[in-house]
Amino acid sequence: MDILNNILIGTQVVSQPINFLLCFLGVLMGTLVGVLPGLGPTAAIALLLPTTFNISPVAAIIMLAGIYYGAMYGGSTTSILVNIPGEAASVITCLDGYKMALQGRAGPALGIAAFGSFIGGTISVLGLMLIAPPLAKVAQSFGPPEYFSLMLLGIVVLIYLASGSMLKALMMAVFGLLVGTIGQDPISGTLRLTLGIHELYDGVGLIPAIMGLFGISEVIVNVEKIARSGVIATKAKNLLPSRKDWHDSFGPIIRGSAMGFFIGLLPGPTSTMSAFSSYAMEKKLSKYPERFGTGVIEGVAGPESANNAATGSGFIPLLTLGIPSNATTALLLGALLIHGIQPGPMLISKNPDIFWGTIVSMYLGNAMLLFLNLPLIGIWVQVLRVPYPILFPFILLFCLIGVFSLNYSYIEVLLMIGFGFFGYLARKFQLESAPLVLALVLGPMMENYLRISLIISRGSPLIFLKRPISATLIIITLFLLMSSLLPWIKGRRQKLSIVE
Amino acid sequence: MGRLRNNNQVTAIFFLGIGIFFSLYARSVDIGRWARPGPGFLPFWAGITLAAMSLGLLLRSFWQKAETVGSSFFPEKDSWKRVLSTFLALLFHTLVLPYLGFTLTTFLFLAFLFRFIFPQTWWRTLVTAVLGAIIARLLFINFLETQLPAGIFGI
Repeated sequence: MDILNNILIGTQVVSQPINFLLCFLGVLMGTLVGVLPGLGPTAAIALLLPTTFNISPVAAIIMLAGIYYGAMYGGSTTSILVNIPGEAASVITCLDGYKMALQGRAGPALGIAAFGSFIGGTISVLGLMLIAPPLAKVAQSFGPPEYFSLMLLGIVVLIYLASGSMLKALMMAVFGLLVGTIGQDPISGTLRLTLGIHELYDGVGLIPAIMGLFGISEVIVNVEKIARSGVIATKAKNLLPSRKDWHDSFGPIIRGSAMGFFIGLLPGPTSTMSAFSSYAMEKKLSKYPERFGTGVIEGVAGPESANNAATGSGFIPLLTLGIPSNATTALLLGALLIHGIQPGPMLISKNPDIFWGTIVSMYLGNAMLLFLNLPLIGIWVQVLRVPYPILFPFILLFCLIGVFSLNYSYIEVLLMIGFGFFGYLARKFQLESAPLVLALVLGPMMENYLRISLIISRGSPLIFLKRPISATLIIITLFLLMSSLLPWIKGRRQKLSIVE
Repeated sequence: MGRLRNNNQVTAIFFLGIGIFFSLYARSVDIGRWARPGPGFLPFWAGITLAAMSLGLLLRSFWQKAETVGSSFFPEKDSWKRVLSTFLALLFHTLVLPYLGFTLTTFLFLAFLFRFIFPQTWWRTLVTAVLGAIIARLLFINFLETQLPAGIFGI
């Protein structure tokens, strides 16, 4: 009965016209962003964040969440029609989706991607609804040592899944922690490395950092080469998959959704990871694995369901523990904090309207996407015809205005350009930006929990090993770190890290 | 010398510098004690950790097999020009915005990128830049009511 009551609360929130409208706008813009290569959901959320300042927190999070899962839907369209993934999670869809389009089956590929995404998204929202409340109750017993250990584990899992050198990913994370210490120390009030710049008193802005590392650097890498792409001539007709398509896709959709849901609970680029894992699993289970990559519908259905399911379940650590699992959820955390909402174990009891409103909006948003995506595919194809040389200056302009309009600060814009330059060089030197961003977000919280834990224990770091939950988390963390030294685990990690 | 090895050495030296800088800086803001950590506690220990890891990477790179990744730093001969020009355009927009105002600065920014990064014809450059600047103005200033500078020309 509790769940029914909670859904009722959520439904009341979403049925308010403004929230309904913003949910629609969110998924629409998300799809558009997903369609456009070079502008991922993270950059889109950062760009549109300032537009949510004048609306209620629940309306803001509904819209921003809509952009996030909308982008996952939109990303598949470019993979199938142009062989260019709109965002990283759709890379694998290119393999069979584009081949299907070349064979004149773009319609069913786009159709099954939309249905699979809808089913995956819905399953993950159901899981979120069932798992989040009990997890939040458990998390209420967490103290500073548990939170510190959990955040440390979060960062280390992300490092473990990094595609390149684990040592370099670890160095980026520590660098992120250091950058996170810039600003006013929350305990003593001491200013650290602010250089007298007022904008740095509250620390290095998350949004300039993310926009620079992911938005600007992505565009810069793209302008290195002369863009050559073209939408294939096929017309996306007969979007509804046939009975045979459904028969072939049903298993991959269900398995992909389940796999995506569980992978989404981990930190890291889980949408991408789940899509790749689902593809690998379907290929392994298939009676004709050799046909994968030549245009089989299972190769589209599984990954598309998985990446949407992972997007939904990524909200579980964010909303129940207050811990973002990737750059996009880190930005959502930032958005909630700007609106005065502290995500964490108390969110469900203190702000049930926000928690349940967001969940019900995700049901609604997934349904909207299904109805939106299929009829609007023609429009998205037209959007794709805009050549990159014309598109990229506008993406840069959006980044500039998005960051400037946050606090009307030129320093923050310069900071974004600086992070863009660093992010560009980082790509060149095979350094991943994701551990840096996660450490930058979690760093200030981790520092607080670390210092409070040490004060409680009178300086004994053993406090992290004396409390069972914290000790378990630390042991897992150490295991992951040590594992890079064990050859058989190293091999397994390399298999897992195909995500980038 | 292989590019990967070279890359790792540059990375290690950069992060070594950062680690040493933060751990030295931390001393000026009170590191504190383990029982009462101060504002410099995390920067100090994280700086030391980063420096140690950088040394590890540096040492490893010396006995690493020369391995190459990709062909060269830039994929095309004139890539560096496009990269540099794009960064300069970003800096131009930021620094000139308060003086020339949003609309004019945006027009110049767009026109420069259209014309010089992936060169378009002058006609296409001007039309797209003018339209882009007008649409951006309508969207951000008129519709979203973003407070963007009007500059000396008031536009």
